[in-house]
Amino acid sequence: MLEKVLQLSLNGLMAGAVLAVPAIGLTMIFAVLRFVNFSVASHMAVGAFAGYMLNAWAGLPAWIAIFGAFIAAGAVGIASDHVALRPLRGYSALTLAIASIALNLMIESAIRFSFGGRPRDFAIPLRRDWSFGFLHVGPQQVENAIIAAVAMALLFVFLALTITGKAMRAVADNPMLADSKGIDPDRMARLAIGIGMGLAGIGGMLVGLDTSIDPLVGFRAILSVFAAAVVGGLGSIPGAVVGGLAIGLAEELSLLALPATYKSAVGFLAIVVILTLRPQGLLGARASA
Amino acid sequence: MSHTRSLVTRRTALLTGAGAIAAPFVVTTPGFGQTGPIKLAGLVSLTGSGSPFGPNSRLAHQAVVDQVNGAGGLLGRKLEYLAEDDQTNAEAGVRAARKLIDVDKVSAIMSVWASAVGTAVLPLCWENKVMLLGISAADSIAALPHQGYFVRTQPHTELQGREFGRFILSQGAKNVYLMMPQTPFTQTVFDAIRATVEPKGVKVASTIIDGKKTSFRSEIDEMMRASPDLFMMGGYLAENIVMAKDLFRANYKGKVIGFAFGITPAFIEGAGKEAAEGMYGVAEPAPAGGSAAYASLKALVKRDALDTYICQAYDHANLAILAMAKGKDASGTGIRDNIRKIANNDSAMKVDNALDGLKAIADAKEIKYSGASGPCKFADNGNIIEIAFRTTQVKDGKLVEVKS
Repeated sequence: MLEKVLQLSLNGLMAGAVLAVPAIGLTMIFAVLRFVNFSVASHMAVGAFAGYMLNAWAGLPAWIAIFGAFIAAGAVGIASDHVALRPLRGYSALTLAIASIALNLMIESAIRFSFGGRPRDFAIPLRRDWSFGFLHVGPQQVENAIIAAVAMALLFVFLALTITGKAMRAVADNPMLADSKGIDPDRMARLAIGIGMGLAGIGGMLVGLDTSIDPLVGFRAILSVFAAAVVGGLGSIPGAVVGGLAIGLAEELSLLALPATYKSAVGFLAIVVILTLRPQGLLGARASA
Repeated sequence: MSHTRSLVTRRTALLTGAGAIAAPFVVTTPGFGQTGPIKLAGLVSLTGSGSPFGPNSRLAHQAVVDQVNGAGGLLGRKLEYLAEDDQTNAEAGVRAARKLIDVDKVSAIMSVWASAVGTAVLPLCWENKVMLLGISAADSIAALPHQGYFVRTQPHTELQGREFGRFILSQGAKNVYLMMPQTPFTQTVFDAIRATVEPKGVKVASTIIDGKKTSFRSEIDEMMRASPDLFMMGGYLAENIVMAKDLFRANYKGKVIGFAFGITPAFIEGAGKEAAEGMYGVAEPAPAGGSAAYASLKALVKRDALDTYICQAYDHANLAILAMAKGKDASGTGIRDNIRKIANNDSAMKVDNALDGLKAIADAKEIKYSGASGPCKFADNGNIIEIAFRTTQVKDGKLVEVKS
């Protein structure tokens, strides 16, 4: 039993590390713009397909293609937001969230129109798992976790140490005060969307490196990504990391008690539980009245 | 003057009112207004898990319709073919079927592939008296109260499960693990396999997985703990690719089998040759390779080899057209009432394409349509009768037919 629990936990942590990357993107956009942008799912697919083109078609190594995934998803994120969501900024968060679902469908359809619906594989060798006693882990899983950790670390450095990062945090904390200090909220919004969707793109490519990609690669993950952001606390970047790991662990450990077919229910359950017991999430700040 | 004007206005109003009341009755009278094209639809999977097969179905439908139109049409009218993408998704399938039925007013919907889509769309068909000629194999579909508006050319899933059981026994497996995503036919297949192999002493364990997840690593770990000598990977294309990779990483050494619709060239490409090598595709209905219909279809679509689904789509179009011709009725009810007259009559003149069948019917001959996918005979509940299966295997990165 202990062996099983440890193996499931290891699988959960590896999956959670990958989930955390797009969850950070989602929560970062929420922190600055105050709405849940569900088009994160399609931007995961944009990143995955951009990475695929650079890796499988152009022959670049996967770790370089990751940068392409970030840039492509970020650029599409800024452009699609400018066209579809920015004109709706004055409306409620619910309106924007619904519009983002429509945007998501359009981007997924565009990818399907361009690439077709069949799954595609990156040009990377398939490797056997590494074994450590009774535990085993895939080299690709470890590499994905490392890439995810590096991406998160770079983001924390950016937010903590650069002037632009601090300005973005200021907008997230108090947009009016930030505005009065001369920080351009539109510029910060574009930057948050670019970085957030770029991270979603990295997440999509990481999922694809371990499995395969198709236009719905992000759609399949979005419930877990959203649950990770909610559990950690919408708007909290450290919370998204904690939430990602928590959801990854919970989904895998649920196999101890539940049939595998209910794995998706774990995300729903986590959202319901956290909204009932601690609406601000594990690391989120309680909203002031 | 004003009195006359008033009288005419009232008469006009009465006539208009009477006409409006009578109109629905008039336009639904059989034979009235049957001057436009006869509409046949393909509800095919152009995207999603069924996308490797949907475009071929559309191609076969269109080819048959063009062939019949080229020879003068049906019942003095042109045929019109409409295709919609069900996205291999029940919700999208219902929306597409609604459009085909409510807006386009089609007589038949053909070649629905996924069972989830077939299950969702069939009630719309029987409620609107539209014939559904399907592929969807879940047993539960034929059990719906479809009033005869349903036939399928794909063997139902209990038959497929029994074929899996037969194959498992032929491989001498003693310890088997079954893994399938949740579908309308998962439990039926599991039960049929168990019923076939357990009496022979084969140990069976099974898991139903959540097919929407991006990884099945922990589920594969659980399977590995059971040390099976044969593993049934019963997913569609996307799930199979992920499972095959996880099997390779976990260094699984036993035999791997799956539904033939999930072990395809696209699967080999997606999973990689190394991971796919040696896997078997089981329970695929064997096309009637030596039949005249198969040869006709090859010539029609200019292909050297045909899979079962393009053959079934070709048969759907031919069956619908010939049933309408037989009953001289271009409605869905006409197809329902006449399809067995042209499909099940073994003593009648055999035909293998719509043109020959239409000519024979015009000459007042009884016909038996024998298709590219098989004999095409139907039970009262719509299930296909008489079916042959084939098995394929991935060898050197290619899919080849093997004896089993």
